Amino acid sequence: MPTLTVNGRKVTVGDDVYILEACRAVGVEVPTLCNFNGLEPWGGCRLCVVDMSLAKWDDDWFKLVTACNHPVEEGMTVLTASERVLATRRVVLDLLLARCPETPLIQQLARDLGIEETSYELNPEPTDCILCGLCTRVCDHIGVSAIASTDRGWGREIAPPFNEPPPDCIGCLACAEICPTDHIKFSTSNVARTIWGKDFEMLRDPMTGEAVITKAQAEHFARRSGVPKTYFETSDKSKRLEVAKTFEKLQVIK
Amino acid sequence: MKMIYKVSVERCIACGKCELACAFAHGSEGRPSKTRINIHRRGPELGTPIVCFQCDDAACVTVCPTQALVRNEETGAIDMIRSRCISCRMCVAACPFGNMLWDEVYNCVQKCDLCGGEPRCVPFCPTGAIAWVPIEEAVLPPKPLDRETLDVTP
Repeated sequence: MPTLTVNGRKVTVGDDVYILEACRAVGVEVPTLCNFNGLEPWGGCRLCVVDMSLAKWDDDWFKLVTACNHPVEEGMTVLTASERVLATRRVVLDLLLARCPETPLIQQLARDLGIEETSYELNPEPTDCILCGLCTRVCDHIGVSAIASTDRGWGREIAPPFNEPPPDCIGCLACAEICPTDHIKFSTSNVARTIWGKDFEMLRDPMTGEAVITKAQAEHFARRSGVPKTYFETSDKSKRLEVAKTFEKLQVIK
Repeated sequence: MKMIYKVSVERCIACGKCELACAFAHGSEGRPSKTRINIHRRGPELGTPIVCFQCDDAACVTVCPTQALVRNEETGAIDMIRSRCISCRMCVAACPFGNMLWDEVYNCVQKCDLCGGEPRCVPFCPTGAIAWVPIEEAVLPPKPLDRETLDVTP
């Protein structure tokens, strides 16, 4: 159970915890775009940088690290709002604002640090994608890996292979739901779902016609988790009806 | 003392107070349609309250790809950790009893968490159909409800 100091406040956290979690434990908010609790930390957005000093280092010696994937150590000192940290974050947001000038989330984060307009040249083709990699990581995590980041440098983007409808995609919408800027577009109804240009058939309840998942999704998760596929075939409403029926004979009116 | 959530379906009179209490307690804007306890109504004053069983070997926990559903050892409930949920809706499809409810406003699943060890629906139940009892008492068979002498005025 290491004890560390965050902005002058002492905190004791668990052994395999990252700095970001320790900061949140003392109520210090560190901005981040690519961190998600259910996924491995990645350190891609560079927005969560903090100044860190170990106990054995000189007192005035600090190092910039990403809080999301740097493990805590006994006697560590962390500064989340030093001048150097803020300057680094400003550069990151300045660049992001040049890339995504019309994204409300980026505008808000930039405004919090006092940036109204980017000092770099504006992206001629404004996009909402900040290349945080959450969508590809969540896709990997589910065990599908249907999308990935393609190309390099300016042309880098998130796309399915060869920009064609991805053959492995199961239509679970996890990538679209996790996207912090709602860049990934999809349409869904009780009958059909479309994402990444691929159409899916929904697994509909035979009685009510409701559907929450696609057929491909049910197959993938039945294989992955070992839960029988029959569990997925009826909607929650008709399942509750089934449960109620089993209890009916218990209910005798006096 | 280890407490357990006990449902005696034969005592339910389908008054719907537990549904309202649940909807108000959980910040789903008090919408009664987004309650985590559902009464299946079969007739006047006759219903079956259906609520999460907190299964030992739960299908929702097995399918969750990000371990967002974890057992709370203190209360015995399976808790949903909102910050880990990726909204893939697999638990909604997998629950064999239909007790995972999708909330389209908050884009997450609504699941009974026993209110952290003090279920809010229990004090509102006029007949004792749902109760929060010590685990030793839960095995005793409940007394049948005498509907003639029942007073349900609030």
